[in-house]
Amino acid sequence: MKDPYEALGVARTAPNEEIKKVYRRLARKHHPDVNPGDKEAEAKFKEISAAYDFLSDPEKRRRFDAGEIDASGAERPQQKYYRDFAAEDGDGRYASGSGFADFADTDELFAELLGRRRRSARGADLQAQLAVDLLEAITGASRQLPLPDGSTISLTIPPGVEDGQVLRLKGKGAAAPGEGSPGDLMAVISIRPHRFFRREGNDVRIDLPITLKEAVLGAKVKAPTPSGVVVLTVPKGSTSGTVLRLKGKGVALPKSPGDLLVTLKVALPKEPDAELEAFLATWSPKGEEDVRKEFAP
Amino acid sequence: MTLTLSDFVTRAKIDRATLEIWIEEEWLLPRGRFDTLEFSETDLARAQLIQNLIDDLGVNTEGVGVALHLIDQVHDLRRALVELTRRRRS
Repeated sequence: MKDPYEALGVARTAPNEEIKKVYRRLARKHHPDVNPGDKEAEAKFKEISAAYDFLSDPEKRRRFDAGEIDASGAERPQQKYYRDFAAEDGDGRYASGSGFADFADTDELFAELLGRRRRSARGADLQAQLAVDLLEAITGASRQLPLPDGSTISLTIPPGVEDGQVLRLKGKGAAAPGEGSPGDLMAVISIRPHRFFRREGNDVRIDLPITLKEAVLGAKVKAPTPSGVVVLTVPKGSTSGTVLRLKGKGVALPKSPGDLLVTLKVALPKEPDAELEAFLATWSPKGEEDVRKEFAP
Repeated sequence: MTLTLSDFVTRAKIDRATLEIWIEEEWLLPRGRFDTLEFSETDLARAQLIQNLIDDLGVNTEGVGVALHLIDQVHDLRRALVELTRRRRS
C-alpha cells in the first residue's frame, strides 16, 4: 500500500484535525456513491479511507512515523456500495420520481422512464363506529363525521347500506410518519332499528292495522312509507295477513329500488262494541265455509 | 435475501434507536410493517452509505436527507439513460 501521508497528500507533521479535514474533503470527492459511474472512484476511496484509518489511530501513526511498521494491512474490509444495488433497484422503492415531474408532464417517454413514484410508508387506518337510523340506510343520507383531528367530514351514506358494512374514507386516517400518504378512515355502519319499518334485503316490510269495517268494505287509508305518507287502497274483503306490494317504495337503490310490503292486520275495536256483538249474534252467513279446513286431520 | 430487524442492526453495525430514526426520516424504506420489517441487501448497502456520509464525508444530519434524495435522483436518471440507450440500440 501507498504511504498514507502521500495518499492523503498531507505533510508528516500535519495535526490530526487537518488530516481529518483533508480526508473528509477527499472522501466527499471520491466516494463511489457520489460518483456512481466512475469505476476508479472505488479504488481511490479505498486508498484514502485506508490511509485515514491508519493515520487516525494515534498508536499506528506513532509507530509508522518511528519506522516500526509499514502501511501494509491497513485495508478496510470489503464494502459493497449502494451504487451497485441502485443500478438495479428492482422494486423502485428508492426511486424519487418527484424531481422530474416537469419532464414527465410534458413527454410520454420521460413519464414512462421517470414516472415511478416512491413507495412510502402509509399512515395507519383508523376505525370509527357510525350509527345510522334504518330510514337513513333505506333512503340514503348525508352525515357529518367527526375526525380524530377535531374537524368533521361530510359522509354520504348510500341507500342500501348494510349493518356492519365499512365505508372507507380515503386519506382521512392517521398521517404518515414521513411523506407517505395518510391512512384511511373506516366507518363501520351499525343500523338502529325502526319503530315499524323492517328491512328484508332491498324490500321493506310494515304491518298496517286496519279496522274491521275497512277490511270488509274496502277503503283508502293513509300508510307510511320510507319516503313519506301515501294513500293506499285496501281492497274490499281484505283478510288479515294480506300483503300489498308498493313497487319501488323500498330501499332507494337508483337502478332497482326495492318494494314496500304492507301486511294488513285487522284490528277489532279495543272496547267491546254492543252493536257489533248484537249484529254478529243474529248474523248467519250464507254457505259458511270452514276457515280451518287446512288443519283438518 | 431478506434480513430481519435484528440481523440488520447487527450487519449494519447500528443500534435500534438509530435505525428507527433512519426509517422515520425515510432514509430507509424496509418492506413490511412495524414488528415484521424485512430488509434487503440494498437496504444494507444504503445503511452503509448513510454511515459513510456521516462518518467519512462529514455530512450532518440535515444534509444526509438531501444527499440521499439527490443520489436517488441521479440513479433515476442513470436508469432512464440506460433504458434510452438500450431502446436506441434495439
